[in-house]
Amino acid sequence: MLDSAMAALASLADPSLLLMLLIGTVAGLVMGLIPGLGGTGAVAILLPITFGMEPPQALALLIGALAVVHTSDTVSAVLLGAPGSASASVTMLDGYSMAKKGQAARALTLAFLSSMAGGIIGAIGLTLAIPLARPLVLSFASPELFMLTVLGVALAAVLSRGNIIKGVSAGLLGLVLGMVGTSPTTAEERFTFGSLFLGDGLSLVAVALGIFGLAEIASRASQRRGQKENISLGGGWGRGIREWLSHWTQVIRGALIGIWAGVLPGVGATAGTWLAYGQAVATAKDKRQFGKGDPRGIVGPESANNSVEAGDLIPTLLFGIPGGVPSAMLLGMLLTYGIQPGPSIITEHLDLMYLIVWSFAIASILGALFCFLSVKQLAKLTKVPFAVLAAGLVAIMLLGSFQEGGQLGDLWVMIILGVFGWLLKSTGFPRAPFLIGFVLAIPLERYYFLTDSLYNGLDWMARPGVLVFLAILILPIVWAFIKFLRARRHSNVDDGHRDERPEDDESQLKNSTWSLTAAGIFAAAFSAALISSASFSPEARLVPQLVSIGGLIFSGILLFTEIRTWLRTRTARVGWTLDAGFALKTFVWMTGFLALTAAFGYLVAVTIFIPAFLLVVARARLKTTVVYTLVLYVVLLALPSLLPIDLPQGWLNTLV
Amino acid sequence: MTSQKSALEPPGIIQETAPTEQPDPPQHSRRTVLAVVASFAALGVATTVLGGGLLNPPSSTEDGNFSGETLEFLIPLASGGGTDTWARFIGTELTNYVPGRPGFAPVNEPGGEGISGTNKFARSAKIDGTEILVGTASTVVPWVLGRSAVKYSFEDLKPLVVNGTGGVIYARTGAGVKNVNDLRNRDRPLEFGGISATGLDITTLVAFDLLEADVTSTFGFEGRGPVNLALQRGEIDLDYQTTSAYGSAVEGIAKEGKATVLMSFGQLNESGEVIRDPNFPDVPTVPEAYEQLHGKKPTGQKFEAYKTLLGLTYTYQKGLWVPKETPDKAVTLLRESSEKLGTDQDFQNKAAKVLGGYPLVADAGMADRVREAYTVSSSVRSYVKELLESKYDIHVE
Repeated sequence: MLDSAMAALASLADPSLLLMLLIGTVAGLVMGLIPGLGGTGAVAILLPITFGMEPPQALALLIGALAVVHTSDTVSAVLLGAPGSASASVTMLDGYSMAKKGQAARALTLAFLSSMAGGIIGAIGLTLAIPLARPLVLSFASPELFMLTVLGVALAAVLSRGNIIKGVSAGLLGLVLGMVGTSPTTAEERFTFGSLFLGDGLSLVAVALGIFGLAEIASRASQRRGQKENISLGGGWGRGIREWLSHWTQVIRGALIGIWAGVLPGVGATAGTWLAYGQAVATAKDKRQFGKGDPRGIVGPESANNSVEAGDLIPTLLFGIPGGVPSAMLLGMLLTYGIQPGPSIITEHLDLMYLIVWSFAIASILGALFCFLSVKQLAKLTKVPFAVLAAGLVAIMLLGSFQEGGQLGDLWVMIILGVFGWLLKSTGFPRAPFLIGFVLAIPLERYYFLTDSLYNGLDWMARPGVLVFLAILILPIVWAFIKFLRARRHSNVDDGHRDERPEDDESQLKNSTWSLTAAGIFAAAFSAALISSASFSPEARLVPQLVSIGGLIFSGILLFTEIRTWLRTRTARVGWTLDAGFALKTFVWMTGFLALTAAFGYLVAVTIFIPAFLLVVARARLKTTVVYTLVLYVVLLALPSLLPIDLPQGWLNTLV
Repeated sequence: MTSQKSALEPPGIIQETAPTEQPDPPQHSRRTVLAVVASFAALGVATTVLGGGLLNPPSSTEDGNFSGETLEFLIPLASGGGTDTWARFIGTELTNYVPGRPGFAPVNEPGGEGISGTNKFARSAKIDGTEILVGTASTVVPWVLGRSAVKYSFEDLKPLVVNGTGGVIYARTGAGVKNVNDLRNRDRPLEFGGISATGLDITTLVAFDLLEADVTSTFGFEGRGPVNLALQRGEIDLDYQTTSAYGSAVEGIAKEGKATVLMSFGQLNESGEVIRDPNFPDVPTVPEAYEQLHGKKPTGQKFEAYKTLLGLTYTYQKGLWVPKETPDKAVTLLRESSEKLGTDQDFQNKAAKVLGGYPLVADAGMADRVREAYTVSSSVRSYVKELLESKYDIHVE
């Protein structure tokens, strides 16, 4: 075994292989930087190039890209609050808060180092998992997968400290939204109103970029000036590395969770990364800083989202079951070379397996190194007035999210969810549970039904794996209860930081007409879901109904408290604030942009929207505006032939 | 006061950074804004109008030559799946064989499990042979079932080339299944793991109905891979896998004695009869299994339905199609190029795995055979609908 491993390493000394690995790494980094493209985009652009190459070269190219996409997708999440991919929205929570405090370089350093470590641990995991993968995968039957999704949804409560009711409501609404589309058990359409577009369900990229990215842009587009803090690494790289080293347990834990989530088919990168974050929060003694720039909130998930990709390769290679689109493409490529994935790949193509492992590890190091060296330059981006960046960001994010499904409808969904995300953000609802609910809705339902129909009664509850999950779920609640009782007995004992709720400066519209409206929307959405689910078949309606009833209870409580506060604060009520006005105006701009796209195509929409937004909203200088627009124009012209990118077509395009 | 400068697009390229602590820059005059926006808008519109004309010049595909053209493949599914890989591979190779070496542009148009993209093709595809539809089982089955969302008909399309696949039904030996005879007269029915009764699973369900096997079904799995794992875990007893997945999913566990291959779906031959699958020459086909169980050859409505579905979802499963208004010269040229491609030895070696061991079929008689296979009688349609309704409580809308 060691021989093959060393032989594979030696083969990487071949300049052509090394060159391919380098090209793949750079392509992966670039694709990661663009919100919405990610791994799928990276593999899609490289795949056609590999036709005609030898298998090792092709593998080095693709693995190089796959290994680093989640290294660079952090950049826009941390600096701009616009996650480069759905799983980068996790790093955004703490990374972006840190950047807003002027510590962008610190956040990026932590993230890149963790990505690198995650990649290396992932590669080691890949090697070790080769003999263990089969028993591991086979021991996870439907009941265990069901419990895993339950655990994920329960994270919603952990991630909404201080406002459990709001967090749970948001999580349940995410679940309802995730159920839009075809039901996993009966294949009937739910909440689609006869639309084929909705029949596929909402696009994860559109939801994540809308609820986090566009919401962020709207709330900050009023900033016409750059960040004034001088950005420094504060003690140089040495300090960054030392700080990162002090969190080494988080790095390893995150990476292990990532591998594990990648190995299990059906969990996925986004859910795996959230699990890593939830674990970091749940096991931390002092949770006050989470969401406000806690380094542990960056290190764990960042290490996880790179190791997920390595974990994902295990079922892809050993069972021929890809966990995501990028690995599905990789699988397709292997087949064209006559390499049959399956348990026998270890005996027949051991050299290629090790080549993959080495490529993954080397690319992780190279990718992190490139990013690490550019931290200082990247961090300067925060000095640019946000309003100026916002114009281009809107254009790029909409274009990125268009690539997945190629449907304009996704972009409308994105803007609607952007408005909703902004409302959640400003009225103090945590958005993380919403996204987790959305991601886990279908797996939760799928594995519930599979468990229910494949096992007799509640036999499955006695399976050892299920018992472990039950313990993980129940023990913290029991523990919290005991602590609560003890605290009541000795009321003066400081048991930690339970009462110190995070004072968020983000939610200025809490306890106002706005939050009342938000609560109203929740209640209305759950009622509508409950009513329309009555027409489904019994199997398809069970879970939506349970969720909407739960949602109605929680949003009912919410509505009640909101109305009470609303009545009490009759005089000093927060009404129409300047920020709210500005945010809503920004959404009107975005809507206009999309309407222009629908009418005249993307190119025309950009050439109108960008200069208008820059001059009117950002009040940028004339010269800046002209150069900015021209650059975007040229990029858009060149892009479709350089990358696998399609520009949305408008009504005008159909005429010519 | 207007020393405010900004960075251009790509992160990392910073021109100069702004001094801090400034009041908001002044507003621009309305005239400036209008002038700038209007001139850029004019630029954009001009590019769109002229560029559109320049990039897509009117094509000439009837001159026996596709030089300067681009073959656009509409793939109605997301990138990365089996159909996508197949289409991109075939497209890349095929364009080398078409006279004039046209360009190749695969376009993924996912949505509605393939229905949206195919609808769009039926509605607006060019009829000069440069726009080609990739057809696959997931767009064929809803058309057979007559779903209301389907706005296309394979009767309005012409095939250029088809490529089949095959598959086997296998069982878990731990469930007490040694051979086909164990499918009937059971104390406890066998559990079949499926994805959705209205997808590719339908052919297997019809086979079970034909055989009168003692089977109950659980749907909702994510894909065939997870079903295979569930079988290995003992959660389900029966599964099928297509030929391309056989090596990774079935062969190993069959060797270990954990699973046993019961039958193959077989293939339709040129006269529409079910014959043994060349990739599984030693495995009896579904009709052979019927004979073994019932002592006579299968006949009747159920068997007709099985043969129809076998043709649609296996033997002629994947194909390239053009609108039927496409001029014959262009169609013939593309078909003959595909035939050349399919018979080329180099290509066959390279393509063995992608094609799953089934040849590209594009001979002169292909179109008639495909036409035959894609003609679905109303009795087959109504039987399939009836089966779904009575046994699986699924009402196709």
